[in-house]
Amino acid sequence: MKLLFDRIDEPGLNTLPVYEARGGYESLRKALAMPPEAVLNELEASGLRGRGGAGFAMGKKVSFLPKGAMDKYLVCNADESEPGTFKDRELMQKSPHMLIEGLIIASYAAGANRSFIYIRGEYVLQADMLDAALHEAREQGYVGENILASGHSLSLVVHRGAGAYICGEETGLLDSLEGKRGNPRLKPPFPANQGLYQGPTLINNVETLATVPTIMRMGGDQYAKLGVETSTGTKLVSVSGHVQRPGNYEIELGIPSREIIYGLAGGPPEGREVKCWFPGGSSSPVLTADELDVPYDFNSLAEVRSMLGSGAIIVVDDSTPILDVALKVAKFYRHESCGKCTPCREGTNWTVKMLERIDSGEATPMDLEIMASVQEHIMGNCLCVLGDAMAMPISSMIVKFREEFEAHMQAAQARARADLGVADAALTAADALSAEGAAAHA
Amino acid sequence: MPRPQARTITFTIDGLEVQAPENAMLVDAAKHGDVEIPVFCYEPKLGQPVGACRMCLVEIEGIPKLQTGCSTPVKDGMVVHTQSERVKEAQNAVVEFLLINHPLDCPVCDKGGECPLQDITFGWGKGTSRFIEPKRHFVKPLELSPTIAIDRERCILCYRCVRFSQEISEDYQLVLQERGAHSYVSTFDGHPYVAPFSGNIVELCPVGALTSRAYRFRARPWDIEDSGSVCTLCPAQCNVTLTVRDERVMRVLARQHPEVDDGWLCDRGRFAYPRLGGDERVSEPLLRDGGELRPVSWERALEEAAAGLKRAGARTGALVGGQATNEEGFLLARLMREGLDSPHIDSRVAGTLPLELQRELGDPSLQAHVSDLEFAHAVLLLDTEPIEDAAILDLRLRKGVRRHGMKLVRASSEELLNKQAAGELVKTLKAAGEEIVVLWHERLTAGPKGAEAARALLDLATTLSLAGAENSGLLEIPAQSNGRGLREAGVLPNASPGLGAPADTGNAAEGLDALGIADALIKGELSAVYLLGVDPLEDSSSLPVWSRSHSPWEQQRPLWEQALERASTVVAHATFLTEGIREHANVVLPAGAYAEKEGTIVHPDGRIQRLRPAVARLGSTRAEWQVLAELAERIGLDLEVRNGMAASQQLFDAVPFYAGLTLEEIGGKGIRWAQRETAAGVASS
Amino acid sequence: MSALRRPIPRYAHGSRVPPGWDEAADLTKEPSPVPDPATTEVPATLREEIEGHMALYPDSRSATLPALEAAQRVHGWCSPEAIEQVACVMRLTPAYLVSVASFYDMLETSPVGKHSVYVCTNISCSLRGADELYGAVRTAAGDDPEFNVRAFECLGACDIAPMASVDGAYVGPLSIEDVPRLLDDVRAGREVLPEKQLARRPCADAEASA
Ligand SMILES: Cc1cc2nc3c(=O)[nH]c(=O)nc-3n(C[C@H](O)[C@H](O)[C@H](O)COP(=O)(O)O)c2cc1C
Ligand code: SF4
Ligand code: SF4
Ligand code: FES
Ligand code: FES
Repeated sequence: MKLLFDRIDEPGLNTLPVYEARGGYESLRKALAMPPEAVLNELEASGLRGRGGAGFAMGKKVSFLPKGAMDKYLVCNADESEPGTFKDRELMQKSPHMLIEGLIIASYAAGANRSFIYIRGEYVLQADMLDAALHEAREQGYVGENILASGHSLSLVVHRGAGAYICGEETGLLDSLEGKRGNPRLKPPFPANQGLYQGPTLINNVETLATVPTIMRMGGDQYAKLGVETSTGTKLVSVSGHVQRPGNYEIELGIPSREIIYGLAGGPPEGREVKCWFPGGSSSPVLTADELDVPYDFNSLAEVRSMLGSGAIIVVDDSTPILDVALKVAKFYRHESCGKCTPCREGTNWTVKMLERIDSGEATPMDLEIMASVQEHIMGNCLCVLGDAMAMPISSMIVKFREEFEAHMQAAQARARADLGVADAALTAADALSAEGAAAHA
Repeated sequence: MPRPQARTITFTIDGLEVQAPENAMLVDAAKHGDVEIPVFCYEPKLGQPVGACRMCLVEIEGIPKLQTGCSTPVKDGMVVHTQSERVKEAQNAVVEFLLINHPLDCPVCDKGGECPLQDITFGWGKGTSRFIEPKRHFVKPLELSPTIAIDRERCILCYRCVRFSQEISEDYQLVLQERGAHSYVSTFDGHPYVAPFSGNIVELCPVGALTSRAYRFRARPWDIEDSGSVCTLCPAQCNVTLTVRDERVMRVLARQHPEVDDGWLCDRGRFAYPRLGGDERVSEPLLRDGGELRPVSWERALEEAAAGLKRAGARTGALVGGQATNEEGFLLARLMREGLDSPHIDSRVAGTLPLELQRELGDPSLQAHVSDLEFAHAVLLLDTEPIEDAAILDLRLRKGVRRHGMKLVRASSEELLNKQAAGELVKTLKAAGEEIVVLWHERLTAGPKGAEAARALLDLATTLSLAGAENSGLLEIPAQSNGRGLREAGVLPNASPGLGAPADTGNAAEGLDALGIADALIKGELSAVYLLGVDPLEDSSSLPVWSRSHSPWEQQRPLWEQALERASTVVAHATFLTEGIREHANVVLPAGAYAEKEGTIVHPDGRIQRLRPAVARLGSTRAEWQVLAELAERIGLDLEVRNGMAASQQLFDAVPFYAGLTLEEIGGKGIRWAQRETAAGVASS
Repeated sequence: MSALRRPIPRYAHGSRVPPGWDEAADLTKEPSPVPDPATTEVPATLREEIEGHMALYPDSRSATLPALEAAQRVHGWCSPEAIEQVACVMRLTPAYLVSVASFYDMLETSPVGKHSVYVCTNISCSLRGADELYGAVRTAAGDDPEFNVRAFECLGACDIAPMASVDGAYVGPLSIEDVPRLLDDVRAGREVLPEKQLARRPCADAEASA
């Protein structure tokens, strides 16, 4: 069933005439004819959960905004920087009006009169598409003062970022949108109460907002019949890595993961096996080949101690050492840590150094233990969850691939010895010294 | 604006039931139960907590994740654990993380011994580290400004210094660059961080990353002693702690007083101290001999001074500088009036103001507090630029605007005297709300229109109904640091102590004001002048920026040049050998700097504050009260002071609204006499 | 410590510490407040563009990123001069702006070549040979000052892994053989590898395109 991706490659879909010809902006008309509370009811009834990563119920989030006359804001999170994720890109590029329509409806339900789409700066083409579509929508009176004579007004600005993963975190995004460094803020206060410019703010992912017109068209109850109970509807899944047909697929939530990885994306190349896979972007704990039959939905993935996250499946086959995967992941988070809080800033840096040492044959036997404990020390102790986003997958790799890490370590040591031509005995002494040094070093 | 008020709640911390103000942050609330939660980035003076360092993690029952105690407001019934295994592990972890890139060069670190990082590592760390990679090492320390050095290896990125620059002094000069583990504290394109309050970052830094270049390597914490006093370099009179080693002031730190300085210092107050012990100081009595000032004995100097003054008698004038204490001014006024029959003594730069105006302006019900600057709806700056006139108030005003939306309005006395402009002004102020403070400078009362402007100011206060109103009132910045105290002590040509009617000296009741004295000296009507802690020719423009003060006497300098030239006797009771004194004094009697003095001074809002000697007097310098008493004796007057305390006592007895005051009552925090029962004395006297 | 020592890792500028860390302030310089419009020249078009962005937001400071991006387009990088011009128009201090600029990967705080080639080396691309591709692009571009070749984090196009963003246009999947043509296309001012442009790629979901 295709809802968001229905005939997504239809020529000209990015323009208003084509979008309108297939019923575009009818949902907006329908919504504006209802009181905002009724629109909110539909959203709540749909069971739609946020598609950006945290999976929070969209309708509930809208209902958290205070009522009454005040400046309220709606911000669309189009930063899409979670490694492996590229679904919002395809939507914005090919069907920008769907996002704009959903955003207007959501702003109506939330009582917000100013809105922004924060799009990552690298998405030049997509931002241009949005700007062009926004221009059309404005001309047509869908955006601006007194939309379709409903009394609801909305301004919309497409705001381009400049390259920082942390600006996808909602409060980092708000600071960035205010023209600051994109450091996350302390919560509470939550954006629903004090967000952009200190005003109540609703933040939703592109896909979440783009689903809203569909919900209005079908009715919340009908939409809720799709998928499974706790994960309703369809979901765009970005599949990448070692698969034969990488790309975006729209699936009904709750189908077996294997069906996505093998059925849709074609599975790993001929002769290769799945070694591990990230079900929800590089921040999600890895799952193994044994876990391919887990239903692809929020709760089922949580039950196997991972998460659906942004809906980005990265498949790693047996040709790649787990250490390379861990190192790539850790380096990414080290590079993207904003540096504001200690465990994340120092912990990501330290983890990279330990992994590098394992790879170069300089690891001490304690290093895996230390690395696991460092991940524990990061998790739950940071200001935002970027730190956890490294610690969770790395932890899962240490647990699930401990033997491979150990073998890698030993092989690397042997290689290093051979390279240096040092006698084993001398080295053992040096290693012992370094282990001792590690314990005594204060 | 209503000030925050908190009800008391009960919560449980580590099994102990503790009462604390509701919504206090847990780290503060914990102190009520004697529980310490370690912090690095938390500093309430800097505004909202940022939750960056994660040192303060605690466990709160009912919340699954550990929470930062610095940003969690305490609620009734909350149950908090700071000693559980989970919390301990988190604390150990944060310390370990902070130390992995810290150089641990404590033996050569200025902060060693008074370093929160050392203390917290000792108290909450595990004592070991498992980090064996090479640490960062590089050139250090580096200059950040002429006064501050930065050692980036040691920085724990707590955000305090950059928050100060951005949110307190609002100069936006000191920032973080890059992100993640590469973040570092820096400025734009190598520009130095030079700003009026930059030195506060040294004190804020919880590690040895920011150090004072003047203090670096001068002392270790175990060599030094702390001594509380008050900075007298400007009328703001910030409370300070002086770091003393071997009878020298090595460093000046803030001694937080919410009603005075809010815990900050300006760079002059903080960095100008080397001058206190510097080459320019007068350390022994000097006598002009063949055109040159030469050291002589106290006997000789006092003889010569007394002889000169006696010779001039009632034709002596006296000028008192803002560094003088109330007691010094009071004793000199007695010496002048009772010993020499001369009423010609002044401490006001702006000239005489009729006594009833002075009393009305000083009416206790009209006096604003410093903290009112923060909570009023509007503050009118009248003839003043606080950053120039009383620097620290600039930060208080910014805080009011930033945190409470206080409206800042600027105007000059010319506008006040113009009916239409004054009307507009009232409208603007009232539009902001009822609570209004007028911060005005003594210069408003200067010149021929001075009295008229003072009257207009009082009318404005009436129109705005400031008397007795909450968070409202007048606050005068005197031209000289202790201007207010000296006036109250009777160092005025037209008043006795306590702004009473002047006693007839036998010569005249009212004397000449500062300008009048200069004029009379030029005309030869006066022949001697006593300069107490003042050099009307002083010019500090050659000093480094942070030591510079702009002399309130600047405008009168040409006049005083002639006056001192003409005077046959110039007795300078001086701390520094500045231009005017070097050129013109016949006798120089050495005086102490504020760090050496005892006595009282009065803050612009009427707070009597106490100076306490932190270091010994330089050279053969004697206490000022003693010098004045000995001089009086040689003139034939027994001032009856045998020690500093007696001088204070005499003053308290002489000023009706100081009645019953004791040095103990003033204590370390001072006391606003307007809040004492005797305050009624002023308006009615 | 172990006898096994790798060469000490160094940053691009040859130092063991990150750029900026070991730089002192120049005490002969004056502090750098909000620039004086009377003495700061700002190209008229740049000023207009920045002011246009400022007008879009309730708080003009929100225009910081678009303004810096505009200045970078004019000056080639966020040079001190570029920063001062933005600071002048926006009435902010240059320090504030450099602090923001240095936070973001796409804003350059040291001089770079005119044409940016961001080669994604994140996980999905590296699983498909991105590290080798990046090496090949670097080697091929050599020290041509026209190019700014950078290894980049996930660019959100893992479906065309390994890929690169060339002056903002996404191309992939790239093979090492594509590299010379890629650079030639840039040099010639042509559209880069037209058949590999993401802009023309249909959705992978067969049912969606149907
Ligand atoms: C480090 C980090 C990066 C994130 N990046 C994104 C992102 O690129 N796009 C996004 O929509 N949400 C991202 N999120 C999630 C947002 O914080 C937020 O939960 C989401 O935008 C809410 O929208 P939704 O409820 O519609 O999912 C990120 C979160 C974290 C912690
Ligand atoms: S967890 Fe990382 S990214 Fe998040 S605030 Fe802390 S340092 Fe910044
Ligand atoms: S220099 Fe000091 S105050 Fe500034 S961030 Fe570093 S540790 Fe904190
Ligand atoms: S003191 Fe609470 S996070 Fe720093
Ligand atoms: S990993 Fe390269 S584009 Fe995502």
